[in-house]
Amino acid sequence: MAIDEHENEPKTSLGRLTRRSFLSHVGAATAATAIAPLASSSASAEAAPTEAASTKIPGTVPITLRVNGQSHAVQVDPRATLLDTLRETLHLTGTKKGCDHGQCGACTVHVNERRINSCLALAVMQQNAEITTIEGIGGPENLHPMQDAFVEHDGFQCGYCTSGQIMSAVAMVKEPWGKTDADVREAMSGNICRCGAYPNIVAAVQAVRRMS
Amino acid sequence: MDQISESKIIGVATRRVDGPLKVSGAAMYASDHHFPGLLYAWPVCATIAKGSIANLDSAQAEKMTGVVAVYHRANIGKLYRVPPAAGMSLILDEKRPPFEDDEIRYYGQYVAVVVANTVEQARAAAESVKVTYNRDKPDANSKLLGSPLTTDKPEEKSKRGDTATALKSAKVKVDEVYTTPVETHNPIELHASVAVYDGQKFTLYETSQAVVNHRDVLAQMLGVPPEQVQVITRFLGSGFGGKLWPWPQSALAAACARNLNRPVKLVVSRQMMFQNVGHRPAIEQRIQLAAEPDGKLTAVQQDYVNHTSMLDDYDEGCGEITPFIYSTQNLLVTGGLARRNVGNPTAMRGPGAVPGLFALESAMDELAVSLKMDPVQFRLKNEPEMDESLNIPFSSRHMKECLTVGAEKFGWSNRTPQIGSMKKDGVTLGWGVAACSWLAARSETQASVELRQDGSARVACGTQDIGGGTYTVLAQIVSHETGIPVSKIDVVLGDSALPSGPISGGSWVTASVTPAVLEAAQKASQALLLVAVKSDGSSFKGKKPEDLELADGMVRQKGQAQGAVPMAEVLQIAKVNSVSGQGKSEGTLEDSKPKYSFHSYGAQFVEIGWQPEIARLRINRVVTVIDAGRIMNPRPARNQIEGAVVMGIGMALFEETMYDSRSGAPINNNLADYVMAVNADTPQIEVTFLDYPDYNLNALGVRGVGEIGLAGVAAAITSAVYHATGIRVRDLPVRIEDLLPMPKVNIA
Repeated sequence: MAIDEHENEPKTSLGRLTRRSFLSHVGAATAATAIAPLASSSASAEAAPTEAASTKIPGTVPITLRVNGQSHAVQVDPRATLLDTLRETLHLTGTKKGCDHGQCGACTVHVNERRINSCLALAVMQQNAEITTIEGIGGPENLHPMQDAFVEHDGFQCGYCTSGQIMSAVAMVKEPWGKTDADVREAMSGNICRCGAYPNIVAAVQAVRRMS
Repeated sequence: MDQISESKIIGVATRRVDGPLKVSGAAMYASDHHFPGLLYAWPVCATIAKGSIANLDSAQAEKMTGVVAVYHRANIGKLYRVPPAAGMSLILDEKRPPFEDDEIRYYGQYVAVVVANTVEQARAAAESVKVTYNRDKPDANSKLLGSPLTTDKPEEKSKRGDTATALKSAKVKVDEVYTTPVETHNPIELHASVAVYDGQKFTLYETSQAVVNHRDVLAQMLGVPPEQVQVITRFLGSGFGGKLWPWPQSALAAACARNLNRPVKLVVSRQMMFQNVGHRPAIEQRIQLAAEPDGKLTAVQQDYVNHTSMLDDYDEGCGEITPFIYSTQNLLVTGGLARRNVGNPTAMRGPGAVPGLFALESAMDELAVSLKMDPVQFRLKNEPEMDESLNIPFSSRHMKECLTVGAEKFGWSNRTPQIGSMKKDGVTLGWGVAACSWLAARSETQASVELRQDGSARVACGTQDIGGGTYTVLAQIVSHETGIPVSKIDVVLGDSALPSGPISGGSWVTASVTPAVLEAAQKASQALLLVAVKSDGSSFKGKKPEDLELADGMVRQKGQAQGAVPMAEVLQIAKVNSVSGQGKSEGTLEDSKPKYSFHSYGAQFVEIGWQPEIARLRINRVVTVIDAGRIMNPRPARNQIEGAVVMGIGMALFEETMYDSRSGAPINNNLADYVMAVNADTPQIEVTFLDYPDYNLNALGVRGVGEIGLAGVAAAITSAVYHATGIRVRDLPVRIEDLLPMPKVNIA
């Protein structure tokens, strides 16, 4: 990785916070709303709720979500969308918010292997679902072929819609579309790229389709 | 100026160094940052566009679950105004700090902000704040020419010769009005501010195209020294100008964090993006052109008026390109501003030039039709020898070649000029062309380069990568100078604590960072050579540093591969961790007497397909030829031009923010009703770079490609539409009903 991404930054990820530093910074009453912990491993899938989840926060309800093969027991506002829960509670911020109205596709995730707009789903209604986010597809050091194709074909500029584009593309490859570029353009038109990297997105998707 | 023509990495298509982070969701954008104790803020927006707040009742909201605070004029605390801009510092469009008074001047103006434990709680409480208004009738009228202006008369922007006389005596003339609607930038990343306050220092994670300016502005607004504000934008979900200058949500988030001593996240909603963070203004332009029957232009006059907000003056500058693009003895450009009850307009990709060239290039096409001349030949005939507005030479201008190469690639010689005369597979084709231009410049820049014992390098600059590939460009420049591979170069951007870098605007980042980074890398190399000649155990000890060089990441005798020692080894032997160098670029922007006219050029060729029987208009293909100096990294450069063409298709056919004349509300304030081009709208796009280095701008001869690709596209499309249909659309966007013959109906 050539970019010194976290230089000079305060701690931003849950993984680097100890419980002590966390509680010393904020009152315990607000702790659970501020961050809810990720379950540590998939072994805890059906385990009892973790500490923070058992802390009753006014206005929130306990739920368990299965994301990227791991179960997470969390407290969420019953109005919380799947998108906001992924981002604000589970800190899986690879999934982006672009419109909150199902109009741009930036928040695309897989629910039971189908692509959906996570801004149009309530978290409390996804408790029995297998949810996959961009983090579950591949990381910077172990890219999925679709992610690698997006880099190779420069299928993005700013990168903000990219998670959604790739989640759409990975699902689209398994959907019954025709072989032409026009089919890809049609299938990918629910994902807006304001930078307009569309020709390269089509090239990336077609490269992966030809591989498989 | 130095000329560097040979390079193994400059001009070579290079994978983006930040690519793996972006495709895996690991790149951290402003709203991705999270902190212990984070609270969420949600603004309350005015539901009128003109009037004043009669009463603001937050009692119910304050009692709601999870609500920590409700702030408004009475309790937000001090937010100061910012002194007038100086150079590239202290720039902002909406100068009134949020909540400064109870007047409402545009729909959606922030009147309060709720802070709560969850985003859902904050939003619900914001919707429960009861605001009553003294309501006046707003003015969001898009009729602009002839409206009262902010000045007594239109301002003269450029003048030569006697346009009035030349127009009066002209043999062939065009005199038309062209209108472009409000366009909203709509980057997919929502504007966001995450403010952290530790009792003294503010750390602000912002969606900013200019972190250094953002720091200076926020320090002023918060009333603290700049050292107590740090602005960070590691990644930006693009901006297109909409994130150049701070918007009110940034001050609100910082004030909330200050008041509560807790981190606060405020993400602007998509609806607010149409109200509170700028837009390209509505513009009307009257263009008058005159020519001799042989096609020689004799007069050009452009009179434009753009709307601006009630408090601030935003001038679109539609005459940006007009004074130098063609040769004419007589020229006049005037501009005026008309106040409306709208949020503050701001620069949007190619400000001035893009709407200005829509009007000018449309008129050029109309004049070519009147002259019965081919529109490419007409433009070639009026190519200037020099910048006639400033009487200085062009630094590097290849406009003619853009037109001729584009014509060749497009197959323009097969064009038959008669309307509707070209058909393919039963579809009527229309072919249109437009020329384009955009400024080239350097902005003052500082950068540092460090060479490290582990064989890597680090380059730092307080600029941003908004999608153009700046991370990769900086790595390429350091790699060019040191021979260290791009993969071993850490690039650090997007932080106001770094050496002051350029705003990500004006297409001038690449040209600006080039001299600074080259110099910093050279100085770091010299520091390394000094280490090599001074250290015990070094095989170069006692030699003169000027006899050595750093090449391919190795220290060696000049020109001798034999005996070369890797940089890492030199530093290890000397037990030195790293050496560094600082570099600086001078700006051209403040140059009051420039020696050269710096611009990029291009030509856009468009084919549309028109099927009147099913009212279907499609863009079939676009050929774009760009003269933007040497191209640093062809891969993202091509991507940017293609993306700009896509945006141009949106501008020509889809994009328009519409205001309800009764309420002043932008009524299509979402991404379903504000239509932007999607993948299925994208035609075949062929991009060609002429790749002539502009060594007067910097040693690598690079300019920039962020904006030029959008200029001219809309005019080429409307000219193609005219060629197919005979209908000249002068009010963007082209609507399908513009192209359908309307039955004459008598309404009794």
